Amino acid sequence: MFDTDQENPMRVLVIEDDAEMASFIEKVLVEAGHSVDKANDGERGLEKARSEDFDAMVVDRMLPEKDGLTLLKEFRDAGGTTPALFLSALGDVQNKVQGLKAGAEDYLAKPFAPAELAARVEALGRRQPSGQEAPVTVLKAGDLEMNLLTRKVTRAGKKIDLQPREFRLLEFLMRHAGQVVTRTMLLEKVWDYNFDPQTNVIDVHVSRLRAKIDKDFDEPLLHTVRGAGYRLQG
Amino acid sequence: MKLALPSFLRTTTFKLALLYSAMFAAFSAALLIYLYYSTVYYIRAESDRRMDLEFEQLGNAYFTGGMERLSESVFERMTRNGSTFFYYLEDATGRRIAGHFQRMPAHNPELDVQTVYFDIDVQEPDGTTVVRPAAGRIVRLRDNGGALLVAFDTAQQTAIVGRIQNAIFIAAPIGLVLSLLGGLLISRGAARRADELARTAEAVMGGELGQRVPVRGSGDEFDRLGQRINAMLDQIEKLIESTRNTGNAIAHDLRSPLSRLRNRLEIALSEPMSKESAEATLSETVEEVDRVLGTFNAILRLARLEAGAEGERIRMDVSELAEELAELFEPACDEAEQSFKSQITKHLTVLGDRDLIGQALSNLLDNAIKYTPAGGTISLTVARGPDGMVDLTVVDTGPGVPAEARDRVVQRFQRMDSARTQPGSGLGLALVDSVAEMHGGQLILADGNGPANAPGLKATLRLPRA
Repeated sequence: MFDTDQENPMRVLVIEDDAEMASFIEKVLVEAGHSVDKANDGERGLEKARSEDFDAMVVDRMLPEKDGLTLLKEFRDAGGTTPALFLSALGDVQNKVQGLKAGAEDYLAKPFAPAELAARVEALGRRQPSGQEAPVTVLKAGDLEMNLLTRKVTRAGKKIDLQPREFRLLEFLMRHAGQVVTRTMLLEKVWDYNFDPQTNVIDVHVSRLRAKIDKDFDEPLLHTVRGAGYRLQG
Repeated sequence: MKLALPSFLRTTTFKLALLYSAMFAAFSAALLIYLYYSTVYYIRAESDRRMDLEFEQLGNAYFTGGMERLSESVFERMTRNGSTFFYYLEDATGRRIAGHFQRMPAHNPELDVQTVYFDIDVQEPDGTTVVRPAAGRIVRLRDNGGALLVAFDTAQQTAIVGRIQNAIFIAAPIGLVLSLLGGLLISRGAARRADELARTAEAVMGGELGQRVPVRGSGDEFDRLGQRINAMLDQIEKLIESTRNTGNAIAHDLRSPLSRLRNRLEIALSEPMSKESAEATLSETVEEVDRVLGTFNAILRLARLEAGAEGERIRMDVSELAEELAELFEPACDEAEQSFKSQITKHLTVLGDRDLIGQALSNLLDNAIKYTPAGGTISLTVARGPDGMVDLTVVDTGPGVPAEARDRVVQRFQRMDSARTQPGSGLGLALVDSVAEMHGGQLILADGNGPANAPGLKATLRLPRA
């Protein structure tokens, strides 16, 4: 379906009571190269999340025994750090905010495109606390370099001039280098919009950015992933 | 067991009418009593005054001419025509000197002045004698020992008072009955009009949505109530109509993509396919399904919006939002070979939901981009509007929307036929309209600045400034 040469395979806990939805999620994540463990109610989900070590978890909001919000709150209160993606049929902004407040790292409304789910779970994995490393000041992707302090971007030593928004767009892509990022993710994280501007505005911005970073070079870095979004080659 | 009262007796209006007639009766009674006593008092005072006058004149005669002069004066008065007084004069020994009567009526000889009540015999013109009540005053003559009585027939007074009493006794019950009857009439009138309301309500409940409360044009409370109810029914009918249309439109709009979908799957099933073409068919199918889901989401969103379930109000800078959106959309216009201009007055704020207003403005920009041909111009203006409003205006150089179609394009799924070929759910402007409404603003559509054959559309989202 999309790229499966996973460089970063993860163990994902899926807590979802609807069996069909759970196998669909499992299929999507396994195809993306991850391994999946499932729990079909809130109590069992919380138990698994506490007793085993997962890289990420996908939590449905409406669950029997214990709803997703409570589960996540209890898990976080007990010191659990596994990054979580909240999944819900309730897609409006207030619900999103509630989910994030309960300790979720991301929120996805049903129905969702498989690519969207895969991309977001992938993005979660990179949020894992990376030990005692010094805060990152320079991002690298191939021969592309971004200095976050001087706000300078170079490719193969050649300076690239970016507008502020293009800089933020590229920063997000570089932080998620090698991963697929979707248009919705870009809208939410780069533009901070929780609505759909409908026109292919994001595509146009990405192609402008691509023109700046790829035009004068043989090897393109910014790829379009059909039916999913974009990937900056790591 | 309770006795069932006739329905009009149980109405509030009747109770009010009853209260009103009770108050009317109390007021009338007070008035009549006052009238009665003041009339009686006046009559008494008047006869006292005339009695005083008599004694003054007779006293003058006595003081100037003694007993002789007084008796002359009494004789003279007794023979005067039209005199209403009766007289009696006696000397110190009690001997009658002059007068209408044979002797002084019973009295207390110790008192100098006293009032006495007694009966007199009066000769009627037909010769018969009748006994009449009389009231008089007896005064002792100083230095003489004699006494003078002046009296008058009280029958006339009594008759007047009696007539007043009669009038009161007759008028009071008649007034009471009339006020009760009036109350009944009023309450029956009111009950009838309340019944008309009830009948209309029943008819509407029974499904006759076109039924309206009859309005008489008198402008009274019932008319005003009727007009309000009719306006409410108009609104409800409109809503139901629009829901019905929406239902039909949803069915219509979803039928074509679903049948396309079905056909595609049918073909995929019946024909052996290469892996590539199977993949292509499936991914087209997924796209089609996504579009259908998108339409459903838009419908749900609109419904939640209209139910007031979405959106929070915070003070937000719409100028800033518009600048961001200008930046977001400008490259897309560029791509479509349209030129994009924006003129944004800084720091205009509204009380609203950033995401909803952003969505609304995006819809306007999205429409403009879709309907403006290459080489056209799209402009975004944010400026102060009239009456403390802020106007977010998007003007394009597309075909525009004719004035008669403007109401329609704002309704759900109502797209101009020419627009059916364009992608989109047909809910864009409906959502802008809902967002405007929930923020206490409005969506105004007008012609743009283009020539008559393609005037372009000027869409203004007008919101109250905060």
